[in-house]
Amino acid sequence: MKARPVKGLDPAGPLADDAERIVLVRLDELCSFMPRAADPEEVVALHDMRIAAKRLRYVLEVTGNLFGPYAVTAGKRTKELQDVLGEIHDCDVLVPRVEAVLDGLREEDVGAVAAGAQEPPHAEEYRGLEVLIVKTRARRKQLYARFLELWTELEREGFRARLEYAIAERPAVAA
Amino acid sequence: MAKQKDIKTTPYEPFARAAARIVRVRTHELFAHAEGVLDTEDIERVHDMRVASRRLRAVLEIFSVCFPKAEYKSVLRDVKRLADALGERRDPDVHIAAMEDFAAQQTATNRPGIEALAADLRERQGRGNELLAAELERVAERDLHGRLLALSDAAEAATEGEEAAAVALAEAETEGAAAGPDAAHDGAPPADLVAAAQPDREDGA
Repeated sequence: MKARPVKGLDPAGPLADDAERIVLVRLDELCSFMPRAADPEEVVALHDMRIAAKRLRYVLEVTGNLFGPYAVTAGKRTKELQDVLGEIHDCDVLVPRVEAVLDGLREEDVGAVAAGAQEPPHAEEYRGLEVLIVKTRARRKQLYARFLELWTELEREGFRARLEYAIAERPAVAA
Repeated sequence: MAKQKDIKTTPYEPFARAAARIVRVRTHELFAHAEGVLDTEDIERVHDMRVASRRLRAVLEIFSVCFPKAEYKSVLRDVKRLADALGERRDPDVHIAAMEDFAAQQTATNRPGIEALAADLRERQGRGNELLAAELERVAERDLHGRLLALSDAAEAATEGEEAAAVALAEAETEGAAAGPDAAHDGAPPADLVAAAQPDREDGA
């Protein structure tokens, strides 16, 4: 997912002002994935939302100290979101990989049985892989429920509005 | 996981100056993790270098407007390639560890299939290590380290140029004010100072 360009950045301008512009765009990008990502089948939207969370988190990690206190908290909350979306992504990557290994074993067995084998040589391996797929899908369901819970928490705590407020603040710089 | 170094910044320092400093630190972190990264017995080294490459890429993208465009694109491309190679090596490590945990919890009936998958993953891990070795050589040949530091230097130099021009302009205006209202003055700064104030950069906006 290509990052949205940020307009109006000035290399000679104050760091906090440019950082504020970047955070606003990245925050909007992140929030734009809801409500689409509220559908568990939206694998691409969930993956892109994870990338958006990662971008926001990284900019807050580097610049969060320049703003009001909630900016640092928002960075941590964004990381929580990124982590759960990352685990969902891992499940979405693993299942097709296991299915590909299963398909490969089946193909070999078709060849072997067609060539005269009494039993598919890999028959004993199917079960473990099927169990892995079932358990991965079950884990994915649990993770997805956690993602929705986390998003609701963020909405209830006013994540977006609080971060927008924080990035407009400039704490006093120690002499 | 290797913790990133905290970098002190202030809200009012020039964006490009902060860019120079932050990219230098993240560059140093990346290359500090390169030692022993091909050792398949210690998978944490690859993990640490991968995390460092992500952080470096992130700051390059955040501060992209501060760097000369062509050099920035070339460096970013190489950092992405390195990050991808680190990923190709790291992902099987994670999956193998997960499969070993999973297999340990399974009955004997279920294990043969998991072992087939783990074997597939080990093959990928081996290929990933070869890919990473080739990419590390390429990074050295193309002096990615040096080019990253040069990007930082370019960002810093542009800031210094702006500041010098701003100081010169302020001095010229002070001299103009001291010369009095009768001095021939149309309110515009001298042409040579205007030329000095035009930085050689592309605006990312």
